[in-house]
Amino acid sequence: MSRFLHLIDLVSEWTGKLSAFLIVVLSFVVGYEVISRYVFKHSTAWASEASAMLFGAYIILGGAYTLSVGGHINMDLIYQRLSKRQKALMDIVTFWFFALFCVVLVWKGGERAWYALKNLEHSGSLWNPPVYPIKLLLPVGAFLLLLQGVAKFIRDAVTLVGGRDGL
Amino acid sequence: MSVGLTTFLLFASLTVLLLSGLPLAFVMGSLAVLFNLFLLGPQSLAMISSVVYGVMDNFIFIAIPLFIFMGMVLQRSGIAEDAYDMMYKWIGGIKGGLAMGTVAICTIFAALTGISAAATVAMGLVALPSMLKRGYDKFIAMGCISAGGTLGILIPPSVLMIVYGVFASESIGKLFAGGILPGLLLSFLFIAYIAVRSHLQPQLCPAIPPEERPTWGERFLALRGLILPILLILAVLGVIFGGVCTPTEAAAVGSLGSLLCAAIRRSLTWTVLKESCYQSIRLSCMIIWIIIGSSCFCSLYTAVGAIEFIKEIVAALPVSPYLIMAGMMFSLIILGMFLDPGGIVMITTPIFVPVIKMLGFDPVWFGVLFIINMQVGYLTPPFGFNLFYMKSIVPKNITMSDIIRSIVPFVIIMILSLIILIVFPDIILWLPNKLFK
Repeated sequence: MSRFLHLIDLVSEWTGKLSAFLIVVLSFVVGYEVISRYVFKHSTAWASEASAMLFGAYIILGGAYTLSVGGHINMDLIYQRLSKRQKALMDIVTFWFFALFCVVLVWKGGERAWYALKNLEHSGSLWNPPVYPIKLLLPVGAFLLLLQGVAKFIRDAVTLVGGRDGL
Repeated sequence: MSVGLTTFLLFASLTVLLLSGLPLAFVMGSLAVLFNLFLLGPQSLAMISSVVYGVMDNFIFIAIPLFIFMGMVLQRSGIAEDAYDMMYKWIGGIKGGLAMGTVAICTIFAALTGISAAATVAMGLVALPSMLKRGYDKFIAMGCISAGGTLGILIPPSVLMIVYGVFASESIGKLFAGGILPGLLLSFLFIAYIAVRSHLQPQLCPAIPPEERPTWGERFLALRGLILPILLILAVLGVIFGGVCTPTEAAAVGSLGSLLCAAIRRSLTWTVLKESCYQSIRLSCMIIWIIIGSSCFCSLYTAVGAIEFIKEIVAALPVSPYLIMAGMMFSLIILGMFLDPGGIVMITTPIFVPVIKMLGFDPVWFGVLFIINMQVGYLTPPFGFNLFYMKSIVPKNITMSDIIRSIVPFVIIMILSLIILIVFPDIILWLPNKLFK
């Protein structure tokens, strides 16, 4: 079990850390558009759509990593005063809200992505890239997020029943 | 179900779930799912994913991670060290000079970055040890950094203003322009306070003794430290206010510019790049996932008619619009004690801004006041980001209550300037009206 949880951590960490470098690519893509417009005197056909895709990937793929390092901000007015086991109990209760949101994103995002894939949908712009890769990222990213949440849920359950730490 | 009951349930469940400690993004996302399911039926759930695709596809939001990345690189680039060195050589010989200079550098940093953390961390690492070594009072030394750091969200560029602009459907360029004079006003008041305190109590912030002061040659040489920051400010703000670029494009210029600055300073190591990237994605995802959750939640406001309902209630209140304004400011300051400023903007803007417009106030003016309230939020316990940043930097013998005590005079100055800006709205509105016809 602890190896399974560790694997989830690693997947979250590395998708997040690899996606983190997209910000450099994104800077160059948007920057290139500016240079192209003011130095070469014509806008690119692709930069705006490409940057939106990079941004979408960056945000969605980073969600699980952010969760794994505790980066999603919460209100800890009451929470911080709870003991370790009380926190675990609270997290087990609120996990179902979190899971519901993720499941809807996987489900409805998956439907949308499947539609795009089935019809080989393209954006219809001048550049006209296929849209299914970016549509697919939402269900994938939301699934990774859910997985990281499940890992935390299992750890909380272990804490609650007073088992060994370090899972 | 009546609109009143639905609105009540919406806010009651929001409050309860927020208090449970579930991250803000998932609180709002899951409530959006639940309310959609029960009020509008399962077929309405497709709205949730389409809202998320909408956020992923919004060109303005791209500016947020870019400005964050810019701040993270600059924080590690050594620019703050150079600027502090310059300032140390020029005004270290004045009583309180190092603290006043720290505020001045925070102001420059604020014009470079859009977040509060960058200047707070950079100056905390550079200026605080130096001031403490020179025998400065620890409260003034810590207070001027924590408070100066918050200028990052008021002086453009500002990530928080971008979020406000999108949720209030206001021009981001106007908001940016509106933050400039209030930012300089706050900076001036902080410096004036330090000057007066160190004049009245000379032992608080001792001047560097004459024999240790640098020569004029050294002083002029140190001015080099300002060249890069000033060029970068001109590049980023110039392209926005010149109408040449969108905020997103300006953010990319800034992000590339900050990499270039770090490269010129020879501080662009693999570790610096890697750490900047990792920290940027965590901070960006934190903010954008709250945007995702709250965009889902906000589409509910509209769907159930909550906004119209609240507007009707406020319109029926037999009180002056200024009293309602004051009530809003007060609730923002209270919320700022407990919640992340980004979250506050996203929860309250969709409700406050329609009311503000109905009362006949300018939403740009309100936006700038809003941001100053959030600056106070960064400083007020129990949940004040800058307090925690400061705690992570200070020597072990300085306690959290010392840090909290250090910010008190600066928070008073902020509230004072809020009052000034409410009485004289032109300090905010003059520049945006001049720049954007």
